[in-house]
Amino acid sequence: MRVILALGRITVGLVLATASLQAHHSFSATYDGNKPITLRGKIVKLGWQNPHAHIYVDVTNADGKVVTWEVESAGPTTLMKQGLRKEDFVGQEVILKGFLAKDGTPTVNASSFTLVEAKKEFVNDEKAP
Amino acid sequence: MRRWTIAVSVALALGAQAISIAQTAPDFSGTWRLNQAKSSRAIVGNTPDIQFASQLEVKQSATDISIVATSIRQQPMSAVYKVDGSKVNVQAPEGITETGEAKLNGTMLVITSRRSFSSPAGDIVVDFKEVWNRTGNELTVEKTRTQSGDSSTQKAVYDKL
Repeated sequence: MRVILALGRITVGLVLATASLQAHHSFSATYDGNKPITLRGKIVKLGWQNPHAHIYVDVTNADGKVVTWEVESAGPTTLMKQGLRKEDFVGQEVILKGFLAKDGTPTVNASSFTLVEAKKEFVNDEKAP
Repeated sequence: MRRWTIAVSVALALGAQAISIAQTAPDFSGTWRLNQAKSSRAIVGNTPDIQFASQLEVKQSATDISIVATSIRQQPMSAVYKVDGSKVNVQAPEGITETGEAKLNGTMLVITSRRSFSSPAGDIVVDFKEVWNRTGNELTVEKTRTQSGDSSTQKAVYDKL
């Protein structure tokens, strides 16, 4: 019985570790450093989780079509260190700078973003004071 | 009289040599590797502000400068620029179109380029300006990215291999 429990714990541990590794990937594996992009839109949803917060932004294209972008940002701890709270996001207009995903989907890695109305800016870890 | 003539000749020769050295174009040839410790903190890590190549392969002649820029897990970009500032096509990964021009300006090399590609947000246009400056075995590249009316500038330092 103890052996079965131990094996179960190991399996759960491995599954969680794998999920964490998949979530914490490198920039160069997922994003195209040759394709920088600046977007302006409205935040419609927030994924406030580690290791990266995910912000979902509706951006209206020049042809009027609205595309929802998934924006990968730093983790909540880093954002909070810069004075941002979960409540600061949803419904806000945002200007973000980052890099496109290699797979062509509306996904971007944000190096910085500005919450327009609140005039709050997030910058990447390395630029942060 | 003879000694005086020799002294003047030597002085003139040295002066001419000094002028010649001062007018020689800077040489950026070689393989240059990014020195993260000496570069702007905002260009490294998982969320770079401006992407810099991790390595530059440069070949230079009196008229041309060939640059191959490579980065880990990123498609390389390369170009053979005419140093008189003529516009050339940059060899870019599929889906990216880029033209650029390079010009020697004193001890500096100034490269300006315009990149365009499509995205789910429509067609994207980005302008870059790079100012290269070499001091011994160190190359400093100051890069400005301008997009949608917004500009930012970062600095990278490369070591000669």
